[in-house]
This record gives sequence, structure tokens and C-alpha cells, in this order.
Amino acid sequence: MRSFKALLISESKLSLRGMDMVIFAICMPIVVLIVLGVIFGNKPAFEGAEYTFVDQSFGAVATIAICAGGVMGLPLVISEYRSRKILKRFKVTPTSPALILAVQVVNYALYSIVSLILVFVTAALFFDYQLQGSWLHFLGAYLLIMLSIFSIGVMVGGLAPNPKIAGVIASLLYFPMLIFSGTTLPYEVMPAALQKIADVLPLTQGIKLLKAASLGLPLDIVLLPIIIMITVAIVCTAIALRFFKWE
Amino acid sequence: METTLQVVGLCKSYGQVKAVNDINMVVKRGEVFGLLGANGAGKSTTIECILGTKKKDRGTVSILGMDVHKDRKKLFARVGVQFQEANYQDKIRVSELCEVTASLYKDARDYAGLLQQFGLMDKVKNLVSELSGGEKQRLFIVLALIPNPEVVFLDELTTGLDARARRDVWRCLSDLKAKGLTILLTSHFMDEVEALCDNIMILKQGESIFCGTVQEAVEASPYDKFEDAYLWYTDKEGYEYAVI
Repeated sequence: MRSFKALLISESKLSLRGMDMVIFAICMPIVVLIVLGVIFGNKPAFEGAEYTFVDQSFGAVATIAICAGGVMGLPLVISEYRSRKILKRFKVTPTSPALILAVQVVNYALYSIVSLILVFVTAALFFDYQLQGSWLHFLGAYLLIMLSIFSIGVMVGGLAPNPKIAGVIASLLYFPMLIFSGTTLPYEVMPAALQKIADVLPLTQGIKLLKAASLGLPLDIVLLPIIIMITVAIVCTAIALRFFKWE
Repeated sequence: METTLQVVGLCKSYGQVKAVNDINMVVKRGEVFGLLGANGAGKSTTIECILGTKKKDRGTVSILGMDVHKDRKKLFARVGVQFQEANYQDKIRVSELCEVTASLYKDARDYAGLLQQFGLMDKVKNLVSELSGGEKQRLFIVLALIPNPEVVFLDELTTGLDARARRDVWRCLSDLKAKGLTILLTSHFMDEVEALCDNIMILKQGESIFCGTVQEAVEASPYDKFEDAYLWYTDKEGYEYAVI
């Protein structure tokens, strides 16, 4: 536990020093929320809707940090630490390289949680946002998305042969998810054909969950997204455990 | 004397290439053991097979009477390691690297004292990447010593250093030796080996071609100087011409 704490403090500091996550996980979601809020204001999400556009987008914007940490941050840091032989160094200590991986996962989870809080505070302060649904359902869904997206990140980081390839794969996952999952560009404004493509991305399904939870929509539409998210988490974790390259 | 490290019949191949072939080694407590050989002779592979970071094909290894895989946690609480590559995070400071390293051990030494001893106290706030080659290597010795180990493995600690820095590192190792630490090191510098090592093993293409003291190595060769003897061992055919 003492090792974990010391490592978490030091790895968080290093990550803050890198600034990437501060920009992409902390600042960006707030900017996106403000832009959406300013453009669409407190108009109803669609004609006759009981909730505003901001109400509808809150869940989606809150996942930007999960996306940044999960499919960009995690693969890059894991593959960098492997190529720098930091994982190997942990093999010749009384702890194990899994410790520093766990620390990284917790570090990115913290970014996501901080981002969620900041996005909520911004929405509440500037756009009179209130969560209409259940916080319990919302946080449960948020945790499930984190689990699912982070498992993709650990798998990519664990399997990519070098940081360069990890970077390419991370970009291929990150940018489509950021644009087409509905985190930045709202899913509802996409043409139907694009929505169909977006539905393939796991984060799109996760965001559907968050929307249902945050708007208090009936839960019958969430079964499929839940199954998809859990399946992704199990499959990616299994592949990562089986094929993870420590060196 | 107590045996700190025992290696019997160690073998390791990469595909068809035999990187290490039937190495036997005994290192007693308090001894400095030097593993010598040209680049690619199998020094690093030997160390990594001993430490378990590379999987050996055959043979047995026992460090401090323990099995490196079965007793990994217990064993590495008492062993310090410095690999050839510098393995630390980008943008990490000296103090942070020491702090984190210390946190991995139950009975870690006070790293401030070690930094003081190795003349690095004024660099505590610096980024590790800002240190000079010699300072980095001294820091890596400090890191290997933080667990308060009974045995340390140092792989090519002085490669890439200038003469001054090499002497500094050299002096540090002499002090450690005087304190009774068991050291296994690899080196390319014969003056260093002569000064520090009680016993040496010379590797050539993964095989041990000499094992004994520096003096024995010189006596069994046609030369008076250890460096000449070393070259004679590693290149028995070609060297005659080189000297003439």
C-alpha cells in the first residue's frame, strides 16, 4: 500500500508535468460543454423535448476524459514504460510491474472523476443543469464505461510492439471515438447513416447509457449497451492478461 | 565462506544462436566478481538469466540460497540491480526517483545519506535527464543500494563515462567492497577489473573460456599485463598479429 501511494503521487506528478491530460481530459470537456451550451443554449433537445440540449449532452461530454485517458493515455504510457525498461526494473524489486500498471489505471480514473466533477459544476453554474435521473445509475454507468474503455487501452498498450505503433493505434481509436461517439459532436445532430457507423464504437453505447441515466429515461433501452460494454471489458481484459508483453 | 550466488549449467539460446552455454559460477559473500567479454559475448544475457528477467533454457541459479522465481519477493528485498539501460521515467526528478525506489522496499536505506555519500546532494531537485553521464551512473549505484542489499548486480556501469567519472564510480565501488558487499559486475575496462575484482570469468560466444583470479589469468597466458592476457583469451588466433 505504501508503494502504491508513493508511486501514485509520483506518477500523477509526472503526468501533470506532461500537460497532455490536463489539456485533453480536464480543459477540453469544459470547453466543449461551454461551446455546446453557448450555441444551443437552454433550448429543448428537440421540439417537444422535456430536457434541454445541455441536459442531453452532459453525459457525453463527461466521457471525454475517459476517452483521453483510456485509449490515448494508457496505451502510450504502458508502451513507453515497456520500451524504457521501467516494467523490467520492477521485476527485480519485491513488487511487480503490475503495480505500476495499476497505478496508471487509478491515475487516469482520477482524471476522469475530476473531469466529471468539473463538467458538472460548469453545467450547473452556467446552464442551470440538474441531473434529472438517478446519480446511482449514472455513476454505475460511468464506472462501467471506464472499465470498458480502460480495458481497451491496457490491451493496446500491452500488445503494441513499440511506442510508435501504440501511438498510431491510440490515435486511430481516440479521434474517431472523440468525434463520432457523440462526446464532442452530438450524436443527435449526426445524419442517420453516420449514427449507424457510430453505433459500432463502444463509447457510443456507453454514452447512450449515461444519457438514459442522466435524463431518467426508461431503462428498457439500456440492456444492449450494458451487454456490449461488459463484453468489451471482458474480452479486452482477457486478451491483455493472456498476451501482455512485459518486455 | 558463505556462497552468495551459485550458477550451474546455465544455457540460453535465441533461436539457433547459443547466447549462453553451460555457465557455472560461484560467488562468495563479500566477493567482487567480474563478468568480462566482448560485446555480444553473453554477459548481459547471463545476468538477466540469473535475475530471471530472461527465461533460461537449462541450469539452476541460486542467489542467497533462494530460487529467483519461487522466492522472488523475498529475494529482491535483499538484491540491488542496475541494468545496462537507464530505466527511469521521462521528466522525473532525482528525489522522486529515489523516493519511489525506497517505497518499494520494507527496509529501505535513507536515500539522502546515500546521495550525500555519492556527491549528488546538490542535484536532488534536478531532472534525472539533466545529470551528466557520471552523475547518472552514480545515481544508479545509489538506486541499487537503496534496498540495503547484500548483493548487487551492476551491468556495464562505467561504459560511456570519461576517465574522471570512471574513477569516481570506481572509488564508490571500492568503498562498497570494503564494507563487505557482494558485487557482480560487467565491465570493458581492464584497469577497473584488475583493481576491483577478486574473481573473473571471461565469456566468448556464450561460453566461459576462463574463470579464476586476475593473477591466474595473467600467469596462464604468455603476457605480463592483464589487458594483453584478456585479449589473448578472447581472440587467441588474431591477437598474436596485433601485438607484433
